[in-house]
Amino acid sequence: MPKTLTSVLLLAFAVLLAACNSSNVKFSIVSGSENTVLEPIVQEFCAKQGATCTFAYEGSLDIGLGLQRPAGLDQDAVWPASSVWVDLFDSGRKVRNLTSIAQMPVILGVRKSRAEELGWVGKPVFMKDILAAVKDGKLKFLMTSATQSNSGASAYLAMLSSALGGKEVIEPGDLDNPNVRETVSALLQGVERSSGSSGWLADLYVDSASKGTVYDAMWNYEATLKETNDKLKQMGKEPLYAVYPADGVAVGDSPLGFIDHGRGPEVEKFFTDLLAYLQSDAVRKRIADTGRRLPLGGSAIQAAAEPDWNFDPGKLVTSIRMPEPAVIRKALDLYQEALRKPSLTALCFDFSGSMEDQGEKQLQAAAQFLFTPEKASEVLVQWTPSDHIFVLPFDSVVRANFAATGDAAGQAQLLAAVADQHAGGGTDMYACAQQALQQITATPDLPKYLPAIIIMTDGRTDGSADFFLQQWRNAPVRVPVFGITFGDADKSQLDSLAKATSARVFDGSGDLAGAFRAARGYN
Amino acid sequence: MAISRRAFGLGLLGAAAAGTGGYLTLKDRPEFRGYLGNKAHLFGFIGGEKQAFLADPDVVHALGGYGLELDARVAGSVEMVREAALLSQKPQFLWPSSSIMVDLARKSGVAIRNDQVVLNSPIVVYTWGPVVEGLKKSGLVTVAAKGGYNQLDLKALLDAILAGKNWSDLGIGELYGRARIVSTDPNRSNSGFMFAGLVLSLMSGDVATQELLAQHGDQAKAIFRSMGLKSSSSGKLFDQYIAGGLGAEPMVVGYENQLVEWALADPARWQRVQAGMGAKPEILYPRPTVYSAHPLIVVDPAVDRLLEALTSPKLQELAWSKHGFRGPLGTVAGDADAIAGVRPAEIEAVLPMPSADVMLALLAQMDS
Repeated sequence: MPKTLTSVLLLAFAVLLAACNSSNVKFSIVSGSENTVLEPIVQEFCAKQGATCTFAYEGSLDIGLGLQRPAGLDQDAVWPASSVWVDLFDSGRKVRNLTSIAQMPVILGVRKSRAEELGWVGKPVFMKDILAAVKDGKLKFLMTSATQSNSGASAYLAMLSSALGGKEVIEPGDLDNPNVRETVSALLQGVERSSGSSGWLADLYVDSASKGTVYDAMWNYEATLKETNDKLKQMGKEPLYAVYPADGVAVGDSPLGFIDHGRGPEVEKFFTDLLAYLQSDAVRKRIADTGRRLPLGGSAIQAAAEPDWNFDPGKLVTSIRMPEPAVIRKALDLYQEALRKPSLTALCFDFSGSMEDQGEKQLQAAAQFLFTPEKASEVLVQWTPSDHIFVLPFDSVVRANFAATGDAAGQAQLLAAVADQHAGGGTDMYACAQQALQQITATPDLPKYLPAIIIMTDGRTDGSADFFLQQWRNAPVRVPVFGITFGDADKSQLDSLAKATSARVFDGSGDLAGAFRAARGYN
Repeated sequence: MAISRRAFGLGLLGAAAAGTGGYLTLKDRPEFRGYLGNKAHLFGFIGGEKQAFLADPDVVHALGGYGLELDARVAGSVEMVREAALLSQKPQFLWPSSSIMVDLARKSGVAIRNDQVVLNSPIVVYTWGPVVEGLKKSGLVTVAAKGGYNQLDLKALLDAILAGKNWSDLGIGELYGRARIVSTDPNRSNSGFMFAGLVLSLMSGDVATQELLAQHGDQAKAIFRSMGLKSSSSGKLFDQYIAGGLGAEPMVVGYENQLVEWALADPARWQRVQAGMGAKPEILYPRPTVYSAHPLIVVDPAVDRLLEALTSPKLQELAWSKHGFRGPLGTVAGDADAIAGVRPAEIEAVLPMPSADVMLALLAQMDS
């Protein structure tokens, strides 16, 4: 055979081989933060297929709102914590082949010594026991925002169900029942920190423990509690004891679904293959090892029980019945507008010279969003009359100090005050943070509120964090300082402030209002 | 091997003759028509429970033999015969999961050329081992004398749910809270639709009429209200049942063929589930139950051939042995005992559905 023919054939063979190994598919997934631990398993498959996979982590509400938009989500697949959010928002039925990957009950993890003090170890615990502990001041917990994140919504719906005294399902009229409102509102007084993300909340627990602040308890997925406890044990800290409320919990079904953007059959085939891979025995075993439940997987697959903290994925949990979508929506509004713990929020707005023009315009637009009830309620971050809000416009000094409650008149007043501000001067965000902290700590009945400082700034600041942090440590409450960056801001100063105060920084350069919205989910 | 030119020529001639003869034979056999080319593409809507059947390579191949290739899109049975958005796409056929849908299609102005029930599957209740054991103790489940399958006194169960009984009252200590049964949304999906008809008839004590609806509609409505969030398709609800297990989905309504199909799709998995320690999926046959018939509604004459194909012994056999669908009369084609304990040979008590008018009035009442 002539040499050229041989090489041509070899080349053709090589090309063919490469084509078999590499699909060159680009595949994007929008997922709940609880799946971070599963991403490597998915990425392994993508690498094997020669595909490029990207994950975007968003809260359940964001995923739902994305589905609701006429244009829908940009990603090829959704992987929320529960199919409820798809049922609630995917009116255009954009999601296909929605398939549960695992079951994740949302339960209460209680610091083991506290669980022992409460007499909860080795006994069935009901929601009324949790309520009594909260009322007696013996229990506080971390819980994500019910309107922004599935684990918080799940805990909240379980509280509502229990307050109805074991009725089979929540119906619209039940939400007007004053006893139900009172019970759930009292339970939610137990919230010590909130967030828009279950994964972030678990990290907060571990980070705080490493710094010596140990929270009592946390509502989260059974599997996330396992992750948390694995870390706590490594650090030599006491684990969270798993309390499975005996009157029923909500169970996330972690469904993966395909969104067809008409990008060709190979994209859909990639999805189908990914699904088959995730459902194969070997991969199911790895998924179960993370503490997720695979009911028909059997003992060969299910992770081993860990009796030291009452973890048992084989234990039968009764799940509450999910109400009709309209009832869930009404319940979420009720949470945001009436039942949640009120916010005590100080907003530091950067009006320094560098904010001139674009920056000022966007900040005004963000204020419009924050203080216009109709706009904020679309994404369930509206204020309520019980909330207290401070607005502190600053440059090199704090220019003024506006305070109002979260009713419509108060919001209008704050909006007008912001509208009067124009860019000019230097920047000192620490000066603003100090005054914000003073405002917060001077508020009567402080324990009734969930406090937060939110600083929006576009760049490097003068001044020093030291004095502020000293005051912060001496304050009677721990106030997280959230940051929202704008433009090409240098994030490092905000980052270290957020880190020191167990908060986080949101990037507002693309969508300033969106960043404020996300921050509100943590307060 | 050396071959002479002459022998080669004779061989060619012989092959040609055989080919012609073969062609003539094939032309008279409809199931081979497709191999001669000229495949007909047919577009229509099907209920989701038949998706796996039509996607089965053996079924695709057998239909290919008839010269047929289907573009079958999934839609809810109720919506495919009522929704303008679907009907305006000019489907050549509709294949819903209930005979009553033929009447509804006609009311929607669909020009029906022909319709015939092709498959059948009784409405069943899916549950788990511990629930069956408990319900046997409380007398709600009995073993059929003939066939040995588990039959459920559905009327007694519905009465218990309406009376607010707990699982423990029904002999099931493992589960906390009120007893409940969940179906799909009757306004969108057929299994929920048929269950609504069955519930109304059971509450009425007879096949429901407009008069009986007026008297007992509220009770049927209460049963569905207690379900909360209802799934839009039978396939989805069955998946939730399998994925959720005893704690999340203790009792759901579905078609008999769904568990059969699930078991057949992965026999090793099925064996593992049977051998495992955990709660096992179980079928309860309500006594009486209703049959979900799957009528093929022919709109375009080209679909006649599809009707011929689907009622052929070959496809009927595939429908039963691989997907658990019974034939047009509720009988089974082929081996009746493919999965021990899952399928009874015959169901004794079957109730007809209320008329289309009664069902529409019931849906309207439940929606209000």
